[in-house]
Amino acid sequence: MPENNLLEMKQIEILFPGVKALDKVDFSLRAGEIHSLLGENGAGKSTLIKCLTGVHRMDTGTITLQGKEIHPQSPQHAMELGISTVYQEVNLCPNLTVAENIFVGRQPMRHGQIDWRTITKRAKELMARFHLNIDVSRPLSFYSTAIQQMVAIARAVDIKAKILILDEPTSSLDDNEVQLLFGVMRELKAEGMGIIFITHFLDQVFAISDRLTILRNGHLVGSFDISEISKVELVTQMIGKDMNTIFNLRRADVAPDAPFMLTASHIGAPGQVNDISITLKKGELIGFAGLLGSGRTETAELLFGATRMTSGQMELDGKQTDIKKPYDALMRGMAFCPEDRKRDGIIGDLSIRENISLAVQARRGFLHPLSLKEQNRLADKYIEALGIATPDAEKKIGELSGGNQQKVILARWMATDPKVLILDEPTRGIDIGAKAEIQRLMLEMCGNGVSVIFISSELDEIIRCSNRIIVMRDREKVAELDGETCTQEKILSIIAEGAATAGGEAQ
Amino acid sequence: MKKNQYIGRQSMISRILNPKFIMVYATIALFLIIYLFGALAYGNKGFTTLRTFTNLFVDNAYYGISAVGMTMVLITGGIDLSVGAVASLTGMFIAYGTSVLGLHPLICIVFSMIVGVGLGLLMGWVIHYLNVPPFITTLTGMFLARGVCSLISRESIEIKHAMIDALSGWRVNFMHLKDGQWVKVKPTAFINFNVLLFIAVLLVGMYLLQRTRFGRNIYAIGGNEQSAKLMGLPVGKTKVLVYGFNGMCSVLAGIAYALYVKSGWNLSLQGAELDVITCAVIGGTLLTGGVGYMIGTLFGVLLKSIIPALITFNGNLLSWWGKIATGLLLLLFILIQKIVVSSSGANKMKSKAKVTKE
Repeated sequence: MPENNLLEMKQIEILFPGVKALDKVDFSLRAGEIHSLLGENGAGKSTLIKCLTGVHRMDTGTITLQGKEIHPQSPQHAMELGISTVYQEVNLCPNLTVAENIFVGRQPMRHGQIDWRTITKRAKELMARFHLNIDVSRPLSFYSTAIQQMVAIARAVDIKAKILILDEPTSSLDDNEVQLLFGVMRELKAEGMGIIFITHFLDQVFAISDRLTILRNGHLVGSFDISEISKVELVTQMIGKDMNTIFNLRRADVAPDAPFMLTASHIGAPGQVNDISITLKKGELIGFAGLLGSGRTETAELLFGATRMTSGQMELDGKQTDIKKPYDALMRGMAFCPEDRKRDGIIGDLSIRENISLAVQARRGFLHPLSLKEQNRLADKYIEALGIATPDAEKKIGELSGGNQQKVILARWMATDPKVLILDEPTRGIDIGAKAEIQRLMLEMCGNGVSVIFISSELDEIIRCSNRIIVMRDREKVAELDGETCTQEKILSIIAEGAATAGGEAQ
Repeated sequence: MKKNQYIGRQSMISRILNPKFIMVYATIALFLIIYLFGALAYGNKGFTTLRTFTNLFVDNAYYGISAVGMTMVLITGGIDLSVGAVASLTGMFIAYGTSVLGLHPLICIVFSMIVGVGLGLLMGWVIHYLNVPPFITTLTGMFLARGVCSLISRESIEIKHAMIDALSGWRVNFMHLKDGQWVKVKPTAFINFNVLLFIAVLLVGMYLLQRTRFGRNIYAIGGNEQSAKLMGLPVGKTKVLVYGFNGMCSVLAGIAYALYVKSGWNLSLQGAELDVITCAVIGGTLLTGGVGYMIGTLFGVLLKSIIPALITFNGNLLSWWGKIATGLLLLLFILIQKIVVSSSGANKMKSKAKVTKE
């Protein structure tokens, strides 16, 4: 290890009840370096960071900052030591102005009073440095998440941090905003700051970092210079298995004479989608491809009755059906796992058991409550079947990692024994291992005769799993392709045909 | 680079028109409208006289004093139900101390301060460090204080002391020039010690909220307590101090009330806490925390007190109409708040980053 390390973490061990969250992990950061910290959900990245920022106390190990041993006690203490953190969820106060969010708690004072003029002036200067031309006297809530993220970084930087930790700062940013953030990161790096960068986007890792450290299951896999490692190697190291074996999935086998499970003909609703026709066979998986806003989600909502259809007809399991609301769909054997997991899916304060039982309970009606025993049986069954990583079924779902939350949501709908399962972006924001797992589960369900509609922005996973692919554009179905023979280029060119005029949205 | 020049200037007008003051403007506007209505309807009965206006202060100063502390508590996202009982307890201490024990009122006041501020700090501590919801904690404080009131006496005790008489009798009359001589305006209009106390507490509250770190931390905590903690702000200390400050305001309100009625009664000021909360809320303070201004609270107090004044001037309406009108007012303001809050959320969707690339 070179001597000029800004930060040195040695033999860090953290024990949680029943689990060794970190097992003798070493980590080092040089001044003027962007160092990516990688690993699957639950690999111990957050635990390591929280140990550095004083949220968790380590059981053994030492942390040395500029040659001096430190013992961060709290985020506040870490900040005083020069370690600033910007979290994925913006941790600022939406009711305060941009300027005040940068300076609250350390406002410049004049004659014993807060010097508002200096605050505004310095906030403007700071934002200008980030090439942001915004009114700093507006409340933070007025601005987009990207700007809020920048304000959080501005605050962290202005504290005279030696180390800046960016915990998944890019997950809600678009391409331009990411570039803006990278520009700022490069400037800070040139000033000698050490930056720890945590992200799921591997392209970004290669675009910006100098070095990277990989963790797996609480163990250190290794630290590498960015030039030493390829993307494939990186992924292999992260998940501990070969990428090909992980993604060695087989499309669902659909018998040519399999009955139609769902037939929608010319369905539509004003302002949503027009004239969509879809057929879905028993045990088949069809993928919806298209840009954000192309009508993928809208179609799914229409099928599930979340939006009332005004034209067209639907047949479910060979019978004409009239689905007016999600409850009708649920009672007829459909299940819909919506896009925004945090907002529409999980109920964070309820336990895994309760979250899993929800849809089954809704289907039975509140007059026939599931007994605790039945709930436990359901929960235990799916925790095992889906490999949900949790000590027990009573853990709050909000405390799980994204991939595990998604599995719980999947379990909720699997528990209803659906005939048709609609999954809207089930793999967003979770790591590669968990993605592969979710895809495997989908295909397994197809094997058991469930018909699946799979919506995703990532074309490779659509192609990998789907029997047929429906391409959406501008709220219409523009193509239906065979999954076996389809290529990314083909889908892209279909989407692009119309997108050239529409301007093309960044994925 | 060109664009960067314009951010250097921020006109006075845009500062005044800042959307965050909308609720305060709504309160002021509604007060003016109701005042105008009163002037048109009862102008001939003397509604527009200075006296009517100053009496709004004189008759409601104790609400106002308490509302200052309550505003701070509400901005943190908390609530304090004990204020009425603590104010009543202060009255009991002064009445019992001076009339029965023969103590000097200042001693009673100091004692009340220790008890009131101490209870506030204790409740703040329980709320933050034991993580008990403010509603329950302060409800307990309310029962506690009310219980002690009844323990002291279950009868009303008259306050008889030269200093109290002097303070409650002291007033500054408004004068005007008539035929080259300064004479009292007619009908006489005055402000008294309570009004001065209210204005002083209000100014202190304003100063604390706008000019000190303590005040800004209050807003930050109300905005997002978790974030405030992660930003390294002293969340616990601030919350405890806010409840302590509110305890002090309750005691001051109790003193003002004692001066106003010159007696102590164990059942006085029952439900006053809700009136105080109402004043703060119709003054634009969000019950969910993070937003509130002292100037809004001032007009909240005036708005709430002008309604009974109107009913008195009408003369035919039962005073219960005051409660109904207050209820409607509160409803109106909560609806306005909902609309303002949700529309500012919509703004966020629209505002895309204006990024200057070099």
